[in-house]
Amino acid sequence: MRAFLAGFGLEARMIRAAPEALIPLVTAPLFALVFLAIVRQSGRPDLQADALMAPVLMTLWWVALQQAGTMITGDRWQALLEPLIATPASLASVLLGRIAALMCLGLVSFFEVWAAGKLAFGVSIPFEHPVALGLTLLVTAFATAGVSVAFAAVFVLTRNAYTFTNSLSYPLYLLGGVFVPAAILPGWIQPVSSAIFMSWSADLLRASLKPPPIDDLWQRLGMVVLLGATSFLIGRAILFHVMRRLRANGELAAA
Amino acid sequence: MSALATTVNVMHHAFRAGLADYRAIFTWKSWLAGWMVRVIAQVAFFALIGERLGDDQKTFYLLVGNSILIAAVVGVFSLNMTTAERWAGTLPLLVASPSSPVIVFSARGSYLAVDGALSALAALFVAGPMFGMDLPWPRVLAVVPLTAVVALASYCFGTFLAGIVFRFRSINGLVVLTTHVSLMAACGVNVPLSYYPEALEWLSRVLPVTNGLLAIRGVFDGADVATILGNAALEAAVAVGWMTVALATFNQLASRGRRDGSLDYGA
Repeated sequence: MRAFLAGFGLEARMIRAAPEALIPLVTAPLFALVFLAIVRQSGRPDLQADALMAPVLMTLWWVALQQAGTMITGDRWQALLEPLIATPASLASVLLGRIAALMCLGLVSFFEVWAAGKLAFGVSIPFEHPVALGLTLLVTAFATAGVSVAFAAVFVLTRNAYTFTNSLSYPLYLLGGVFVPAAILPGWIQPVSSAIFMSWSADLLRASLKPPPIDDLWQRLGMVVLLGATSFLIGRAILFHVMRRLRANGELAAA
Repeated sequence: MSALATTVNVMHHAFRAGLADYRAIFTWKSWLAGWMVRVIAQVAFFALIGERLGDDQKTFYLLVGNSILIAAVVGVFSLNMTTAERWAGTLPLLVASPSSPVIVFSARGSYLAVDGALSALAALFVAGPMFGMDLPWPRVLAVVPLTAVVALASYCFGTFLAGIVFRFRSINGLVVLTTHVSLMAACGVNVPLSYYPEALEWLSRVLPVTNGLLAIRGVFDGADVATILGNAALEAAVAVGWMTVALATFNQLASRGRRDGSLDYGA
């Protein structure tokens, strides 16, 4: 727990020191305005709530890919990985703490898009099922943190992680159904989409903003947690393997 | 060697250095399987919003707008150049050399205008048929040079922004992404210009994309040649305008770094 908290504190200080960490908080309200403009200009006010939620999910994905995903690669470039591994604290705990701080940052986008919609178009978030909405956001942040660990572990194996982070954003927005439900995607791609926790989160978020009761709330929340936890375990296993290889081959200081 | 020949020589070497950089980032395989997949997914993401709205015309509108936006996004990537040079430790050397930094940077990143135009056209010609959009032959060929003009204008705008980032390098990524989403929001990519307040409509006219995109939409809508050429000329004027501003400000901003000693090798 101390390692987790230390990681959280470290990342919070890094966010404060680097203005670039705030990129997703600058783009989230802009995306909200773009999406709101599209649905309003097309005469579909019923989709306004969906237009507001999409940037929140995009922000979490962005944080997972660009910031949390490149964490180990960045540490390696700055020669921070070696002292980090040499300490007795668990690397996974420090990483999780740092990623948790980033997820808190990502969730700020929820309040931003709320304000942007209200100020620019007078559109608010309809809190039809506030408890379900809050729980969905929480489990989504948890699952995103799990996926981030998997990204971080895989990206450290690549020659240029940024090629992957730049290439994966929109395919994941699409498959994760952040604006358009996975059900609208072509049939052959839907099984892939179902294996991505974000598609479950996106459907739940949209359902929590509409008046009808939410079907199978707990099962769907459980599915998000399950997929996020699975990603975390896979990421942790890869990380363990990568670190052992780096240590065994003496590649740690050769970044 | 005359001044002109020297400048051409510097630009030639800078362009080759840029190409070498790009080859280090992408192979043909990773460009096709990574970058192009992302580009087509980006266009499909917006086109699917049109499908969800249940309006084919809106789907095509979003598809064309977001395809052409790709040219702008890649063009604006040119402002990453200064930060890349700084990370590589070559920025102070470049500024200290007798060549003009703006000549080096504008030539070095010019491959991005080519890449932007190619990526945008590939997105349009792949995603268009996927969504059942009609590409009227041979009229659609006019989209090729028009997209190139959009990419060039965006690249000139990116070169101007690179001068700004020269002074405020810690916000490089912030400027890239904010510019991307701002162009998406303001330039008629997703909703017609008439939807905006008049002031924003006027502002968008001096930004890259807006006029060129109107010309391209004109090609698909069967507009008369004069209208298309008029909008294309405006986009070209925007390109010239931003490159002029870049030439006027870039070296000044770079030399300030030389005066106050901020051209260090660190982050």
